Amino acid sequence: MADGRHHADKENLRHLYRLTAPGHVKTQRYKPYDELQMKMVNMDSVVKLYNTTRVLDNIHLVVNEGERLAVLGPSGCGKTTILRLIAGFIAPDSGIISIAGEPVSENGRIIKPPETRGLGMVFQNLALWPHLSVRGNIEFGLKARHQPKDERRRRTREILELVGMAGFEARKPAELSGGQQQRVALARALVLEPGLLLMDEPLSSLDLELNIRLRKEILDLQKKLGFTLVYVTHDRNEAFDIASRIVCMRKGRVEYEGTAEEAEKYFEMTT
Amino acid sequence: MTRRVFLSSIVLLLVGIGLLPVLSMLIRSMIVDGRFSLAAYQGLLTSRHQWILMEHSMSLSSLVTGLTVLIGVPLGILLVKTDVPFRRFFTALFVIPLLIPSYILAVSWFDLLGNDGLLSHLLGAAATRATTDFLFSLSGCAAVLFSVFLPIPMLLTIIFLRTINPVLEEAGRLVTGWSRIMLGISIPLILPGILLSAMLVFLLSFGEFSVPGFLRYDVFPVESFTQFSAFYNFKAATAAAVPLAAVTLILLVAEAGFLREKTCQIRSAPGSEALTLIELGRYRTPLFVLVATMGWIIVIVPILSLVIQSSGIEAYADAMDRAGDSLLRSILYAAIGATLLTFFGFFTGYLIQTKAVKFWRVIDSLTVFLFALPGTVIGIGLISLWNTKWTNFVYATPLIIILGYIARYTALTSRITVTQLGRISPSMEEAAQVAGAGWFRRIACITVPLARRGLLAAWTVGYIFSLRDTGITMLVYPAGHETLPVRIFTLMANGSPQLIAALCMIMIMAALLPAGMVWLTAGIMPTRKI
Repeated sequence: MADGRHHADKENLRHLYRLTAPGHVKTQRYKPYDELQMKMVNMDSVVKLYNTTRVLDNIHLVVNEGERLAVLGPSGCGKTTILRLIAGFIAPDSGIISIAGEPVSENGRIIKPPETRGLGMVFQNLALWPHLSVRGNIEFGLKARHQPKDERRRRTREILELVGMAGFEARKPAELSGGQQQRVALARALVLEPGLLLMDEPLSSLDLELNIRLRKEILDLQKKLGFTLVYVTHDRNEAFDIASRIVCMRKGRVEYEGTAEEAEKYFEMTT
Repeated sequence: MTRRVFLSSIVLLLVGIGLLPVLSMLIRSMIVDGRFSLAAYQGLLTSRHQWILMEHSMSLSSLVTGLTVLIGVPLGILLVKTDVPFRRFFTALFVIPLLIPSYILAVSWFDLLGNDGLLSHLLGAAATRATTDFLFSLSGCAAVLFSVFLPIPMLLTIIFLRTINPVLEEAGRLVTGWSRIMLGISIPLILPGILLSAMLVFLLSFGEFSVPGFLRYDVFPVESFTQFSAFYNFKAATAAAVPLAAVTLILLVAEAGFLREKTCQIRSAPGSEALTLIELGRYRTPLFVLVATMGWIIVIVPILSLVIQSSGIEAYADAMDRAGDSLLRSILYAAIGATLLTFFGFFTGYLIQTKAVKFWRVIDSLTVFLFALPGTVIGIGLISLWNTKWTNFVYATPLIIILGYIARYTALTSRITVTQLGRISPSMEEAAQVAGAGWFRRIACITVPLARRGLLAAWTVGYIFSLRDTGITMLVYPAGHETLPVRIFTLMANGSPQLIAALCMIMIMAALLPAGMVWLTAGIMPTRKI
């Protein structure tokens, strides 16, 4: 991951977010790729029960900083539960979850609630707030962090340019196409400069052509901005296109784990 | 943490406002001269009078429940599933009696069928005697309450039919006709809703005091009210209230066991906006005539009799002169009550919907129990708790009326919130949480705006039920603070029929205007799922 092809993008990123500007968002900053090998997410012996059903059974999972990890598996295998545990919407019944080396939840207890974890998330249904405009959706998190209006406007403009949605600020989500909504959801998650981005089957409702185009855009954005990506999907092709490492799940357990290339070979052998 | 503390405070307030008065009433009735005693309850099982009251109460409630379910369910099916003309108009029309104080319908039927009623001028004394005898009996009382509570099974049938996935009926249509589909698929699917409506009608008619009181049919709530207000016998009033509370509790335990899971949250089925309509064909006109005739008899005739009785500007001028201040007070208290009910209902509903605290089921049951309790029981409880020299700032002010509204009607606004929040994906709030927003900001900027239609509906329902309340207000209103329903009820003893009819018409307008405005602006159709 720490290859040289991202250095120019890193410079662009610095320019884009004016890292030294006063009043910038106090969230986790993107870090140079040569510092990237720390564990961004560490799930240690995590068990999650729904009533008496073991949805996750003794999961050990490490996501390195700057890595693109796809969690692949059929419906009901527990992959969305992993994402919700990392986000902090639910707590593990046992085990510890750490983000950037800091324990965030353990043994049925949430230590750090989602709003303080400094991560971004794109939901399966996108969860764009229908009563707010595109600008309102994107500025919401900046307002919550008490950013001044000028700064909010500037960053909203920049992130919309980055995802190719400049000029759509005043539109309501219902007035956008599926692909446009997808881009707005991505912009909303990225405007807060999260160190970690969680994506829960974000392309599942799109047609194949748009799905493939957006995979490439997500990949480009990740390379440009350098955030760590945890991408949940049930679609192998999506996982192979986006991830640098793939975790396959079945019935609440990790069945296979390896690089995208290794995973491709594994699937060829097993199918 | 903030969320849990805030929601727990709301729960504590609700317990203080609703449950504490009832407990205080029970405890005080069991203490005689500083000692524990059940003397007040001794007569409950031994007195013949008590058994007569029980028989009357059970007969009246059973009759009203049977009639409303028997007519209300087919009516609901007809108005939501068929192509009968003017369906929305008829739905609105049949709901009107539920929105106005129930005794107004008794007054209007008395204006029509009573000794000096409109029919007596047409049919003569003999016929009038028969109609008066009918009105002042179990049958008359049941007929009036039937028209008041008919909208409950009708509306719940409409709402629950909308939750059925149309595909289930379409699968049936491949093999059989609509009548078999309704009997074999749709009605069994909405059976929990029908049973819930039956239970609600039973409890509401069991606790109804104003109609039996006006039509002089002795039931427990009338006894409780009379003992309290006429004889100021607190212990006898409480003893008469206990069977009401006991029956309410038994039915609610049954509801919690068998129905709650199936009826707590109502969601529209996917595609229910395009509900498949049954084409009535040659039955369309006869069924339209039938529905129109029912609407005419149940709603329009009673209101027309009030209009005729109150005709002339003098009656309205006199009414405003004698009760104008009560009208303003009613609207003010109802508006304040509705606002607080929306506030409490929203957070209680949020707590139930998100299961934010472990004891959410208890809170749900508590609000429903307080709603099902007769108003007279809550009224006596409030007096029992607040009538002390230290709490006069509550007891001697309109605050006690507002507390009564919150105690009794929070279940309504809470259930509306639960249904509305059920339509909003949890990811809406989660997305705001990930964006760094604290709980209050999430509630203010995301959840409340998304639930605004439900909040508007909750406010309207809160306003209407506060405005029409008689049972609680009649008992607790401080001197000089009587509301319009109380004023009308007290004027009925010595006011002229014209004056009473004019007051009733003013009351109907005050209740229906905001409901009509909401109907026009928001519509009654369910919102789509977000």
